[in-house]
Amino acid sequence: MRRALAMFGALPALLLSTALAAADDDVITLGAAVQSSGPQANTGRYYADAYQLAVDTINAKGGVTVAGKTYKLALKLYDNQSDVSLDVRQYVKLITADKVNFLLGPFASNHVLDTSSVAEKYEIPMVQGGGASGQIYSRGYKYIFGTLPPAGDYYGSTIEMMGKLDPKPASVALVAADDSFDVSVAKGTREHLKQAGLDLVVDEKYAENSSDFSSILSVVKSKAPDVILLSGHETEALNFIRQMKSLDVSPKGFYAFTVGVPTEDFRNALGDDANYAFGMTTWLPEESQKDQWFGNAAEFAKVYKDKFGYEPDYHAASAVADVETYAVAIAKAGSLDPKKVRDALASVEFDSLYAHIKYGENGQIVLPQVVIQIQDGKVVPIYATDFLNKPHYPVPGWDDRK
Amino acid sequence: MRLVVVILLVVAAGLLAAVPLLGDAVLVQYGINALLVATLAQSWNIIGGFAGYPSFGNSVFFGLGIYGTAIAMTQFGLPFGVGLCLGAALAVLCALLFGLPVLRLRGHYFAIATLGLSFAVAAVISNLEIAGANIGLILPLIRADGMFYELALGLLVACVLCVYAISRSRFGMGLIAIREDEDAAASMGVNTTLYKTAALMIAAFFTSIAGGIHAYWITFIDPASSFDPTLNVRMVIMAMFGGPGTVLGPVFGALVLSAIYEMLASWISTAAALLFGLVIVIAVIFMPRGLADLAVGLRRHGPGYLLQNIRRHRI
Amino acid sequence: MLLAQIIVNGILLGGLYGLMALGMALVWGVLNIVNLAHGAFVMLGGYAVYFLFTGAGIDPFLALPIAMAIMFAFGYLLQLIVLNQIIRSAQLNTLLITFGLDVVLTYLAQLLFSADFRTISPSYAGANITVLGITIPLARLAAFGIAWLLAAILWFILNRLAFGRSIRATAQNLIAARLYGVNPRQLYAVTFGIGAALAGAAGGLYGIVSHLSPYVGAPLTAKAFVIAVIGGLDNPLSVILAGLVIGIAESLAALYFGPTYANVISFGLLVAILVLRPARSLRAA
Repeated sequence: MRRALAMFGALPALLLSTALAAADDDVITLGAAVQSSGPQANTGRYYADAYQLAVDTINAKGGVTVAGKTYKLALKLYDNQSDVSLDVRQYVKLITADKVNFLLGPFASNHVLDTSSVAEKYEIPMVQGGGASGQIYSRGYKYIFGTLPPAGDYYGSTIEMMGKLDPKPASVALVAADDSFDVSVAKGTREHLKQAGLDLVVDEKYAENSSDFSSILSVVKSKAPDVILLSGHETEALNFIRQMKSLDVSPKGFYAFTVGVPTEDFRNALGDDANYAFGMTTWLPEESQKDQWFGNAAEFAKVYKDKFGYEPDYHAASAVADVETYAVAIAKAGSLDPKKVRDALASVEFDSLYAHIKYGENGQIVLPQVVIQIQDGKVVPIYATDFLNKPHYPVPGWDDRK
Repeated sequence: MRLVVVILLVVAAGLLAAVPLLGDAVLVQYGINALLVATLAQSWNIIGGFAGYPSFGNSVFFGLGIYGTAIAMTQFGLPFGVGLCLGAALAVLCALLFGLPVLRLRGHYFAIATLGLSFAVAAVISNLEIAGANIGLILPLIRADGMFYELALGLLVACVLCVYAISRSRFGMGLIAIREDEDAAASMGVNTTLYKTAALMIAAFFTSIAGGIHAYWITFIDPASSFDPTLNVRMVIMAMFGGPGTVLGPVFGALVLSAIYEMLASWISTAAALLFGLVIVIAVIFMPRGLADLAVGLRRHGPGYLLQNIRRHRI
Repeated sequence: MLLAQIIVNGILLGGLYGLMALGMALVWGVLNIVNLAHGAFVMLGGYAVYFLFTGAGIDPFLALPIAMAIMFAFGYLLQLIVLNQIIRSAQLNTLLITFGLDVVLTYLAQLLFSADFRTISPSYAGANITVLGITIPLARLAAFGIAWLLAAILWFILNRLAFGRSIRATAQNLIAARLYGVNPRQLYAVTFGIGAALAGAAGGLYGIVSHLSPYVGAPLTAKAFVIAVIGGLDNPLSVILAGLVIGIAESLAALYFGPTYANVISFGLLVAILVLRPARSLRAA
C-alpha cells in the first residue's frame, strides 16, 4: 500500500519535471542531445560547443527572418552520456515535451541511426553532422539530412591521389573496424580500389574498441604492402600507430586513417610519432571558404579557439553548417511548418564556412575529402582534385626518422 | 488484508494502462522503458531471487529475444508476433542447452559463467551475417508507442502473475529450498536439476519477449546495445533493491530506480550517472536486503534500522 | 615466420593481461569480493603514472612503485571506510557496490582528467629488438617481466611470510583466524590495498603500450574476470599463466578466424573451463 503510493508519487514528479513552457513566440528552438560525457565525449564536445557558437553568432547578426518577421534562434541541449537508449528518450522529450521546432543530430553513426528514427516517426526534420554510415540513408527516410559525406567515398580522394604518386603504389592493406560507419567505409573503399586497379593484399576486420592490433600488424608486415589504409575510431588509430612503431611495421609507401589526424589532441598524444601520417578532412580553416555569419573559415577557427580553448576540426564545422542550414532553409520556406521546412531543406543550396551545402536525393551531402598529412607536427593539405602541397612520400621507416 | 492488496494492485494496473491516454509522449517512452526493465528484474527474480542462483547473464536472453524478432522481421518478412515467438524459442533453447552445464556451478562461479556466456553469444552474433554482423539490423518503422506500452504492461502483469503462481506452488517451494540449502533439498527428493533449469527457462522466456518488444520499438538494433552487460547489473540491482524472492519487490525496485534515474537525467543531465552510482553505493550499505526489508524494518525499528544493517554486516 | 611472431605477440600481451588479473584474483580469493571497479583502479593507476611522468618528469618505470603506493593507500582506505561495512552481507552486494563505485570513479575521472585520451610516451616507448626475424617490442617485454616479478613477489608474500599466512588463514576460515589474533579489518584493508596497487601497476604499463582515458577500465575488468577464473584464485603464478593462455589463444584466433573472434574465444574458453573443471576445486557458494 505504502509502496504503491510511493511509486505513484514518482509519476507526478516526473510529469512536473517534464512540463515546460510552450515555445516562445519569437524564438525558433533547435533541439539536440549530444555526448558531453561518456566515452564519446571527446568528440561530442565539438558538437555542443559548435551548436552554441553558431546559434549565438547568427543571433548576434540579426537572427532569422521568416515571412517578414525576425526570429532569434534558441538551443535546447541534453547530455546523452554516450548512452544510445537515453539519447532516444531525450529526442522524444525534445519533440513532445520541450516542443522544439527542429532537431540537430548527435555524434556517431549508431546514435544517429536510432535517434533519426524518432525524428522520422514524428515527422520533424533533423539535420545532423555526426553520422556518415550508409545505413542511415538506406532506409528511405524523408526527414533526415546530413553534412558528413558518404562513408564509402571517404578514401576516394586518397585512392585518386595514389594514381598520381611517384613511385606509384600497387598493393594495399585495408584494416577496418566492424561498426556501421567503418563497414560502410570498407565496402566503398574496396570498390574504389578495384576500379583503380590496385591490389588488395590484406583485408582485415576487427572488433570496434579493440586496443591490441599486434596480430593484424604482424599479418600486414608479412605481406609488405605499399599502402596501409585504416578505418576506425580515434583511439584505435592512436593505438595502431603506436603499435606500428613498436612492432616496426612500415609500409613502403604510406599509411592513412579516416579519423584522428585532423584533431589536435590526437597529434598531441602521439607527439613526433604523428608525423608522416596521412588522413582526411572535409574541412580546412581556409580564408577562401566564405560564410555570411562568420566571414570565412579561418576567422571561425580563430573565434572558436579563443572561446573554447581548443582548435575546431571538421566535426565542429559540420555542426555549425547544420545550424546555418536551418537558418537558410527556414527563411527560404517562409514558415515554421515542419513539412515546408523539410521541403526547403531538400532544395537548399548555399556557401558556408564548412563547404558548399547541397543535400543529395537521400538527404546526404556529397563532399570530397581533402587528403592531409602531418608534417612536422602540422596538418598540411596535400590533395583535393590535384596536389595542393608536396607530400612527404615515401614515408621513411621508423628507424630512419629523425 | 489480502483482498485490499489485490484490489489496490488491480487499480494500479488499470491506472498504468491508462497512461497512454494522458497524451504525454515522454511519459509513455519512460513507461515503456521502465516496464520492460521491471519485467527483466522480475524474471531475474525467478532464478536469482527464488532459486538463489545469481545470474549475471540474463542479457543474453534479452539479446536473443531482440535478434530473434529482428531477424524474423527483417530477413524473412515475418510478422511481429512470429518474431516474438522465434526470439522466445531461441532464448528458452539457450537456457536449456547452456543452463544444464552452467547450473552445476554455484555462487560467484555461476554468476561469472553466465556473464561469460552473454559476452560469448554477443561476440558470436557480431560475426553472423544473417544478424547483420556488428552493424546490426534495421526494423520497419512503426509509430505505435501506445501499443508498445500496453504490450510491455501486459508482459509485466503476466510475469508478476507467473511469479505469484510460482511462489504458491510446490515448484516455488522447491526453488526456495534449493536457495536455502541445495544439498538438503536434493536429499529431500527435490529434483534440483529439473527445477533450476525450469526456473532459468521461465526467466529466459519473459526476458526474451521483453527483448522482442524492445527491438520493434527502437527499430535499430546492434550487438552492443542488445547484449549490453550493464543491463545485467541494472536488473540485478533493481531486483535486490526491491527485495529478491518476494512477488512484488523487484517490480517496485525497478520502477523506483528507473524513476530516480530518469529524474536525475532530466534535471541534472550530466551528473546523473555519478549520482546514480552513489545511490547504489548508499543503498547497498544502508539497505542491503532491499526495499521490502526496509519497509518492514523501518516500521519495526524506526530509522535505527539503517545503522543496525551496517552493524550486522560489517567486519 | 608469421606464426612465431603471432605466438610471441600473444605471450607478451598475455603477460600484461595476467598482471591485470592478479589484483582481482587476490581480492576475490581472500575477501570474496568480485571487484567490478577493478578496471577503474587500473585506469587510475595509469593516470597516476601519467601525471608523474608528464608533471614531474619521472621515468614511467620508476614511477610505477610510486603509483603502486598511491593506489595501495587508495584501496586501503576504500576497504576500511566503505567495503568493510557491507562485507558480511549477501555476496551479491559486493558486486553491486563495486559496480556503483566503478560508475562514480569513472565519472570523477572524466571530471578531473577530461575525456581526452593520453599516452605515456617516454622516448623508448616504441623501441623494439629483432631476434630470429621476430620483432619484440621492448615496452611489452618489460611489462611481461614485471608481471612475473610482481606475481613472484606476491607468491612469496603469501607463502613464505607470516603476514601472507595470516591472509591465507583468514581466507580459509575467518573465525579461526580471529581466534588466533588476526585483526580482520586491517587485514582486509591491506589485502584490498595490495590488489589496488597491482591494478595500478598494470595501468601504468597499459598507458605505455596502449592509451589512457577514463573509459579504458570496463573491458579490462571483463578480461581480468576471465583470467582470474581460469587461473584460479590461489596461486598468483597460475594467474599469469592463465593470462598467457588467453593472450596466445586470442592472437591465434585473430590469425586463423579473424580479429573479431577474440571475444568469442576468451569468453567461450571461460565458460568451457568453468563448466568442465572438476567440482571439488571450486569454492562453494
